[in-house]
Amino acid sequence: MKESNKGKVQRRMLLLAAVLLAGIFVWFGSDGTAVQAENDDSTLIVGFDASFPPYGYQDESGEYVGFDLDLAQEVCKRNGWKLVKQPIDWDSKDMELNSGSIDCIWNGFTMNGREEEYTWSVPYVDNSQVVIVKADSAIHKLSDMAGKIVAVQADSSALAAFTGEDATDENKALCESFQDLQQVGDYNSAFMNLESGMVDAICMDIGVAKYQIESRGDAFRMLEESVSSEQYGIGFKKGNDTLRDTVQNTLFAMSEDKTFETIAKEWGLTDCICLKEYVPALLVEEGDMEDDEKSQTSYVEEGEEIVQGEKVQEDTANNTEGKSASKSDFLSIAKQLGKGMLATLSIFFFTLLFSLPLGLLLTFVRMSKYKVLQWIARIYISIMRGTPLMLQLLVVFFGPYYLLKMNLSYSYRFYAVIIGFSLNYAAYFAEIFRSGIEGVPLGQREAASVLGYSRMQTFTKIIFPQMVKRVMPPVTNEVITLVKDTSLAFALAYTEMFTLAKQIAAAQTSILPLFVAGLFYYIFNFVVAFVMEAVEKKLNYYR
Amino acid sequence: MKVLEMNHVKKRFDGKEVLKDISLTIEEGEVVSIIGPSGSGKSTLLRCATFLEQMDGGTLSYSEHPVVVEDEETKKVIYPPKKELREVLMDFGLVFQNFNLFPHYSVLKNVVDAPICIQKREKEEVYEEARELLAKVGLADKENAYPYELSGGQQQRVAIARALAMNPKMLYFDEPTSALDPEITAGILKIMKQLAEDNMTMAIVTHEIDFARVVSDRVIFMDDGMIVEEGKPEDVIDNPKNERTKAFLKKLSY
Repeated sequence: MKESNKGKVQRRMLLLAAVLLAGIFVWFGSDGTAVQAENDDSTLIVGFDASFPPYGYQDESGEYVGFDLDLAQEVCKRNGWKLVKQPIDWDSKDMELNSGSIDCIWNGFTMNGREEEYTWSVPYVDNSQVVIVKADSAIHKLSDMAGKIVAVQADSSALAAFTGEDATDENKALCESFQDLQQVGDYNSAFMNLESGMVDAICMDIGVAKYQIESRGDAFRMLEESVSSEQYGIGFKKGNDTLRDTVQNTLFAMSEDKTFETIAKEWGLTDCICLKEYVPALLVEEGDMEDDEKSQTSYVEEGEEIVQGEKVQEDTANNTEGKSASKSDFLSIAKQLGKGMLATLSIFFFTLLFSLPLGLLLTFVRMSKYKVLQWIARIYISIMRGTPLMLQLLVVFFGPYYLLKMNLSYSYRFYAVIIGFSLNYAAYFAEIFRSGIEGVPLGQREAASVLGYSRMQTFTKIIFPQMVKRVMPPVTNEVITLVKDTSLAFALAYTEMFTLAKQIAAAQTSILPLFVAGLFYYIFNFVVAFVMEAVEKKLNYYR
Repeated sequence: MKVLEMNHVKKRFDGKEVLKDISLTIEEGEVVSIIGPSGSGKSTLLRCATFLEQMDGGTLSYSEHPVVVEDEETKKVIYPPKKELREVLMDFGLVFQNFNLFPHYSVLKNVVDAPICIQKREKEEVYEEARELLAKVGLADKENAYPYELSGGQQQRVAIARALAMNPKMLYFDEPTSALDPEITAGILKIMKQLAEDNMTMAIVTHEIDFARVVSDRVIFMDDGMIVEEGKPEDVIDNPKNERTKAFLKKLSY
C-alpha cells in the first residue's frame, strides 16, 4: 500500500516537472529574444510600426523587412552593432523611447510638427501627404472632399497635417469641410473602410500610397493635389545626441558611397529620398582635418562597402520578391501565424500557471479574519475587475519607468505581459474560488473539526477538492476568455498571433490572415473546452 | 469515571442567552438522552461540548481533566491551545443530523481517513477495524460506494462507523434520525441500542421519546436554555414533576 502510494506521488511529481519543462520550452521557443542580450552599447533597438510598408513591415516568410530596416541593418553592420527590430504599438512610441525599451524610432517618422519632441537626424526622405480614393469616386481634387468622410491613421502625419498645431489654415479649413475625419489603427483597416464605403477617402504618406496602389491594383487612385509636404527623420530620445551623431554620420557615409541610393531604389523610393541635400560636404572635409584616424578607417571601410553593396542588392532582391503583391494562400498564412500561435500559447500557459495559485492566495486574503486584509483584497479585486486589462498592461510595462525611473530591459516586454495578465486573472479567479469555498456546506468543516483535522488539513483534504469541482464551469469560462484576451498583448507590442495577423494583413493588403487567426482561436478554444469538459467528467465520480 | 463534566455553562447568541447556567455530568458507560422543544438549547449544549461553539462562561472537563477553565477574576473562559484541544477531540465522536460525510471520499475512505491521518495509526489495523465496523452497521458490501450512492439511512450508518473508528470514549448524537424516513429510523436506533448494550457512553439529543425511554439510563428535559428536569426515564417521561415537562410531553402525545 505504502509502496504504491509513493509511486503515485513520484509519478505526479514527474508529470508536474514535465509540464513545467514543456512550458519553459514553449516560452523560449516562442520568444528567443526573451533571453537575448540586454539593451547595451552593442545593440541598436529600432522601434517601428510593423504594418507600415515599405518602411517597415512583415514579409511572407515572417521576417521584418523594409527600407528603414535595411538602412538600420547597414548602419549596424558598419558600426559593429547588433540590430534588434522591435515592432511597437504606434500610440505607445514615446513611452517606449523614453523608457529605453527602444533606442530610436526609425519608421517613416515624420519630423514636421514634432521638431521639439525628439533629437532628430537630418531628413532622409521627403514625403507628401496625398489622398487616395476609389477609382470610380467623384472626388478629383481636394475641394471635392467637402462633406465626405476621410480616414487617417491615428497619430499619423496626415492627421497632424489637418489638425496638428502646425497645420496650415487651408488644411484646417479643408478638414472643417469634411463630414468626419476618422482615425483608424492601421492602413489595412483604412482600406477595408474605403473598400466597403465606410469612408470616402484616405489621406496618407505618398510612399505608402504608392505601395498600396501598386499592390491593390487599379481599384484605387491618388489625387494629383497633395495635402502637405513633409520629411522623414530618425527620432532619438531627446538629448541622445551621441547616438544620433553616430547613426547620422554612418548614413552620410552610406550616401557618399551610394549604398543609400541603392537601398532606396530597391524599395522604389528613389523619388522621395533627400538625404543627399544634407550631407555636409564641408563637415566631411573638416572631419578629415580634425581627425586623421577617422578618415583612415573610412578609407578602409570604403573598400569593404563595395562588397557590402553587392550583398545588399542580393538581400533586397529577395525582399522585392517578398513584397511583390502576390497574396499568399491559406496554408502559408497559417504557417506564418504558427509563430504567433506559440507566443499566444506561452501567454496563455504562463498566465494560468501564475494566476491560479495567485488567485487562491488572494482568496485566502479576501477571506481572512482580519478586516484590514479583507479590505486590501477587496480593493485590489475591485480595481482589477473595474479597469480595462489593456490599461493594466500599459501600467505594468511603463509604470516602472514613469513611476520609479527604472530603465527597462529588453526582455521585460514579455514579463510585463505575463505579470499584467496574471494579476488581472488572479482577481477573477479569487472571486470564483471564494464562491466555490463558500459553497461547500458548513457541515463539512464541522465534521472535519470534530474528527480532529487541523485548519490546513481541513482545507487541503476536505474543502479544496470539493471547491475544485464546484468552480470548474466558471473557471472554464475564464480560461476561454483568456485565450481570446491574449490578443490584448498587442498593447505592449508583444507579437502574439493576432498582432501578427494584423501585420500580415497589412503587408499583404488582404483580410484573409485575420480570418485564419479567427479559425486558430476557435480551434484553440475548442481544445480548451474539450479538455475542461473531460476534467469535469472525471470529477463526476461523486456528487 | 466522569467522561464529561460541564459546570455553569453559559452561551449567548447576539445577546440572547441560549444556555443559562447548565451543569451536566456523564459517567462512563452511561446513556443520557436530552429532550426538549426546539430552541431549548439542547443542540447548542452538544455543540459546546464538542467545541463547535465557544462557551461564554463555565468550565468543561473530559475524563476528569480540565479543558475549558474560567479565569477567577474576570470570569472569562480560557480555551487550551489548538494542539491540546485536538488531543481532547479524540475523547469523543459526533454523529450529525445531516450525516456530513465527505462526498469525495468512498465509504471506506470516510471511515479510515481520520484514524490514519490524524491519529497516525497503522494502516492495516485501521482498515481491518473499519471493515469490521462497516459490517457491524450492515454495510460490508458498500465500502467502495460514494455517499451519493447511498440512502440517508445508509449514510448515517457510515457516519456512525466513522465516529466509532476513532475509538472515542463517548459518542454524541445530534438528532441522528430527524432527517430520515420512519422505516429507516428504526435501523439506526437499533444500531444505537446495540452500542448502548456494548456499554458505549452516549449523549443523545433526540425527539424519539419511546427510544429514549428504552435506551437511556438518564433523561434530561431542557427548556429555555435550562435543565428543567432530569432523572430515570420512567420518572421524567412517564411521571414528570415539572409543569413544562408535562406540557411538552403532552404535545407529543395524541
